[in-house]
Amino acid sequence: MTAIHLIFPEIALCALALALMVADLFVAPKHGRLLYHLAWLASIVTLCLIGLSISDAARYQGLGSLWSVDPMSQFFKMLVLLTTVLSLLMGLEYKDLPPARAGIFVSLLMFASTGMMLLVSSVDLLLTFVSLELISISSFILTGFEKRNPKSSEGAIKYFLFGAFSSAVMAFGISLFYGATGTTKLLGLTQAQTGGPLFILGLLLVLLGFAFKASIAPMHFWVPDAYEGAPTPVTAYLSIAPKIATLAAMLRLFAILLPAKVFDLTTLFVLLSALTMTIGNFTAMFQRNVKRLLAYSSIAQAGYILIGLVSGTVVGMEGVLLYSFIYVAMNIGAFSVAQAVASQSSGADPYGLESFDGLSQRSFGLALAMTFFLLSLAGIPPLAGFMGKFYIFQAAVQSGHIGLAALGLVNSVVSVYYYMAIAYHMFFKPAATEEPLSIGPYLYGGLAVAVAGVIIFGIYPEPLIASVQTSAQYNLP
Amino acid sequence: MTLAHYLTLSGLLFLIGIFGALTRRNIIGILMSIELVFNAANINLAAFNHFRHPGGVAGQAVALFFITIAAAEVVVGLALVLAIYRNTDTVYVEEFSLLKG
Repeated sequence: MTAIHLIFPEIALCALALALMVADLFVAPKHGRLLYHLAWLASIVTLCLIGLSISDAARYQGLGSLWSVDPMSQFFKMLVLLTTVLSLLMGLEYKDLPPARAGIFVSLLMFASTGMMLLVSSVDLLLTFVSLELISISSFILTGFEKRNPKSSEGAIKYFLFGAFSSAVMAFGISLFYGATGTTKLLGLTQAQTGGPLFILGLLLVLLGFAFKASIAPMHFWVPDAYEGAPTPVTAYLSIAPKIATLAAMLRLFAILLPAKVFDLTTLFVLLSALTMTIGNFTAMFQRNVKRLLAYSSIAQAGYILIGLVSGTVVGMEGVLLYSFIYVAMNIGAFSVAQAVASQSSGADPYGLESFDGLSQRSFGLALAMTFFLLSLAGIPPLAGFMGKFYIFQAAVQSGHIGLAALGLVNSVVSVYYYMAIAYHMFFKPAATEEPLSIGPYLYGGLAVAVAGVIIFGIYPEPLIASVQTSAQYNLP
Repeated sequence: MTLAHYLTLSGLLFLIGIFGALTRRNIIGILMSIELVFNAANINLAAFNHFRHPGGVAGQAVALFFITIAAAEVVVGLALVLAIYRNTDTVYVEEFSLLKG
């Protein structure tokens, strides 16, 4: 059963991206912004197509040959598209991108989103690999998009070397998986098939490929360099969309298709999660560059989300979905503020902590918004980040991983230190210049959405929790 | 020739590739090592398909996908190498030191 109509939104997005790439040839560089507008409108159109599938589940959901379209995958697809829209709005205000190549930029962003949408639906290692590569190859180019900036090239080449290495290893893992089971399908694997050294080695190598994209601890070395070098809208995009899409794919593979009673990897995931949060938080404390600091913080956040995966219960799954949603709002907000501050900074390092000195005097609203995002990332009530962490730690305790939950709490406390370091610079340091900081209308719009998400879902999370509970459903093999 | 011969070959290629990728200092060398790992996977797929799962062609089909993807990846990689060579005049990874901390 091919059921090609199930991936109609992906096909639409991909076709629109190709159209924009061609349109790039016919649009003069000075009208390049037009392409950004078309791109975010195209993403919203795709978002509406997915919304349609939720209202008519019988027709638009089900199992295809390589993909499974269910409420869970639709939830993550919408998150990915939301991130795409908000990143494109950031891109409209970002000055360092070459205007002549706007069409290529937006279409690469949309190709990466197509890859993520396929990844969260995939139930076959072949599609998983192809969509991971679609994401990787697009994001290598996006990272190095500022061709004249050596930092951008260096970030891209480091990202590329790690990425190519881990995808080659993942390919080897898939070949072993095929050798053990005779198929790349992940549906209906039984206990008899999942024994044996070939299968175990194969699956571990596949996990390594996932760990690279989700920036899980032993494979996180590329993260700070790639994030610092990449153009800021791309950094915001990379720190959110590939991470939650990969974690969603891991959730599908390791919690649903290969649950612990078929193949038990719980201990490994506990270790990975503990390592990821700890390394992320303790390295972030020493950073002086806000992009690097947020990069390490995003590693730590991946560790928290992994706790939800460890627990393997329905509550844990809902926690992963809830936290992913909140993570989109708070991270895109933090990067938007960083971009706004750096665009009008004259220091040696525009993203240095010093650029934030006295931000509250230059633009009190921006400083306040940043404080909300940072408090939410740290998990302080009543902001949305607290709800996400609460849900995830609750799932860990319920499934008996009390030590892991305790470690998560300790890590949250540590993270307050470096998040508040930014707030300290914003409120208590004198500003280098009194000049008020102005931000463009599109960045303003994106920030408004992010602030609203962080505050509203912190105080009144019931609608979000209800939608997460209906979305935590999947097609069983 | 049995399956064991092919698996030994692919295992050796895999190890050589990993070793090269971790020890080489020249980006081109690292790229070549990564290609070896991809080729090890392809040999595995073809051999498993022939000896263990002779019913279908799934393994060979996957190998075709891998070959294509590896080629696409190298194209992007070489373009990035060119970009960084224009900026820094070097292709040795230990000389890329703008980003650290």
